[in-house]
Amino acid sequence: MLEIRGLTKRYGAVTALDRASFTARRGRLVGFLGPNGAGKTTTMRCVFGLAIPDEGDVRWDGAAIDSKVRLRFGYMPEQRGLYPRMRVADQLAYFGQHHGLSGREARAKGMAWLERFGLADRAKAKLEDLSHGNQQRVQLATALVHDPELLVLDEPFSGLDPIGIATMSEVLRERAAAGVGVVFSSHQLDLVEEVCEDVVIISAGRVVAEGGIDELKAASGRRHLEVEVEVAGSGGAWLTSQNHHAVLEQSGDRVKVLVDEDVDLDAVLAAARAAGEVKRFSFEPPRLSELFMEAVTAPQPVRHEGGR
Amino acid sequence: MRSWRAVRLVAMREILERGRSRGYLLSLVFTLFLLLAGFVLPQFLLADRATRLALVEPVPAGLQAAVETTATAYELDLVISTVADRAAAEAALGASTIDAALAVPADLSGPGELIVQEQAGPTLQAVTSAAVVSLRAADAAELLTPPAVTVLAPPTEEDMTAIIFANAGIILMFIGIFSYGTWVLTGVVEEKQSRVVEVVLSTVRPRDLLMGKVIGIGLLALAQIVVLVAAGIAAAQLSGRLTLPPTTLGAVVQLFVWFILGFALYSTAMGFLGALASRVDEASNASMPVTMTATACYLVSILVVTSEPSGVVARVMTFFPPAAPMVVPLRVALGAIEPWEVVLSIALMLVSIWVLFVIGARVYAGAVLQMGSRIRIRDAWRART
Repeated sequence: MLEIRGLTKRYGAVTALDRASFTARRGRLVGFLGPNGAGKTTTMRCVFGLAIPDEGDVRWDGAAIDSKVRLRFGYMPEQRGLYPRMRVADQLAYFGQHHGLSGREARAKGMAWLERFGLADRAKAKLEDLSHGNQQRVQLATALVHDPELLVLDEPFSGLDPIGIATMSEVLRERAAAGVGVVFSSHQLDLVEEVCEDVVIISAGRVVAEGGIDELKAASGRRHLEVEVEVAGSGGAWLTSQNHHAVLEQSGDRVKVLVDEDVDLDAVLAAARAAGEVKRFSFEPPRLSELFMEAVTAPQPVRHEGGR
Repeated sequence: MRSWRAVRLVAMREILERGRSRGYLLSLVFTLFLLLAGFVLPQFLLADRATRLALVEPVPAGLQAAVETTATAYELDLVISTVADRAAAEAALGASTIDAALAVPADLSGPGELIVQEQAGPTLQAVTSAAVVSLRAADAAELLTPPAVTVLAPPTEEDMTAIIFANAGIILMFIGIFSYGTWVLTGVVEEKQSRVVEVVLSTVRPRDLLMGKVIGIGLLALAQIVVLVAAGIAAAQLSGRLTLPPTTLGAVVQLFVWFILGFALYSTAMGFLGALASRVDEASNASMPVTMTATACYLVSILVVTSEPSGVVARVMTFFPPAAPMVVPLRVALGAIEPWEVVLSIALMLVSIWVLFVIGARVYAGAVLQMGSRIRIRDAWRART
């Protein structure tokens, strides 16, 4: 389990992290979300000792992280980078060895990943001669070559085509299923909703939401109510006159509004029936993207363990 | 706590990746070519051609022997032939088949004449006149004997070799620092620019990365210098321009020691200054202080220390670490240094390499993950990451 405990990091007058805390369990895919500049990259750098927090610490499986523990981690920074003129296989072997593998082991495991990504025939090619997508695959292989216990990936899906996205999510799911801790940041919230079990939302250096996606949705207190009633002329006017927070969508006979969790559904349904023939009636939790918007714009944390 | 494994891996990568690069091999071949050309070309261009002297018949008895004897005394390389008469001599001079003709009456009744096309060399004049005079004044030969020359401290071949090595060493030092120090510099910036440094630093400590880089590239530089020195010695031996005394080994070892010290000092400085730049084209700007210092020290060594190896400047520069790798070998070669000065200079050198490395590693660590405009040393020092 990865524990981020009360991290604070200041760069001059800028506070990049403000007592940020969260945990990421092994075997769960954790999406690490937040607007640009919220502190995601700084948090990841703190995990790898690339940034030293002013306060707080990071623990793995209950123990403080030192350079030895870090060898069992895999990192894919947001700013991708490998040696452009180095051969792909040599590159994987090099990073594998830095993570403690023997030269032979590192080479074998590197080749295995290249085969997995369909790049075995490019093993002897220089990195710069590979296409952008293939360079991304090599970058992922670099983070995976030593079978890490914890994978931390900064924007792993950015710049990938649909096939690349499919491969990436497949590999991440598989790693998580093998008991590895997987934390990745992304701005593609629909993708995160589909792939991840847990999310951590960070805003202005503070963790503003944390937990399982389903639980967060259930706890949100807001619901989407979508109703389609065949009623000539008046459209969705009957529904928007009911108690609601906002009209999310409205087109023809169909209308979608944001309501409280404890809204009296029977009353709404009765009103709908009174208006006309009900074609559709759905009551759903909000999408992750809405939870995200709510969390990063809310004045108070949705759930904040670091505690102010 | 330092991870030597990481240092070794970084150094090995530098050696393997750069060692088999075309740039390294080409520079090796090119420098080798220059060096050999330096030894071999002068053989053809500057070789002293023998002076062709024709004696005009009838030749007085003993003239040829007298000319040969004096030519040997004056170390003049002569090829002596004879021509039938003065007209033949002039024709031969015109056709450049001889350089000079000497016509002396067979009975030695007169001093004769030395005939040349354009100009008579002073040595040739001295040789011919001495030969003719000694032949004509055979009775008074005793009176014509010149004073003997006594050299009190003749230069030994050891001295010559040491000076040659010291001079070659300074040049190699300078070239090595510039070409391979620049590799460290651009290597650091390239890692930063390609962002690979963040991946590397997730397992390797910044100072281990810097140290591995300096060691790896330093070994490549050393390998090149070993090849060059070996080729130079071989070429010198084969071309016969230099006979190697038994002290050669000492001179070579000393050259290597100072090269290693100098390279460690300068390339560490280049490495951490490189981290302050964000792009390769900014790197040469960032390293300006180092290249300026190296150039100044080089010029001072060549201009001042060579002429006054025991002067105040030379003594002060001995204890100025950036200058020591160039000044000390030169002073040792010129025999103008006390042993304690060498020992103290090396000690100072080691201390300053260590200090520079500690400072440099921290600046490097603070700067290497920051992108954007050029970073100031003070900010990098304070960044603490």
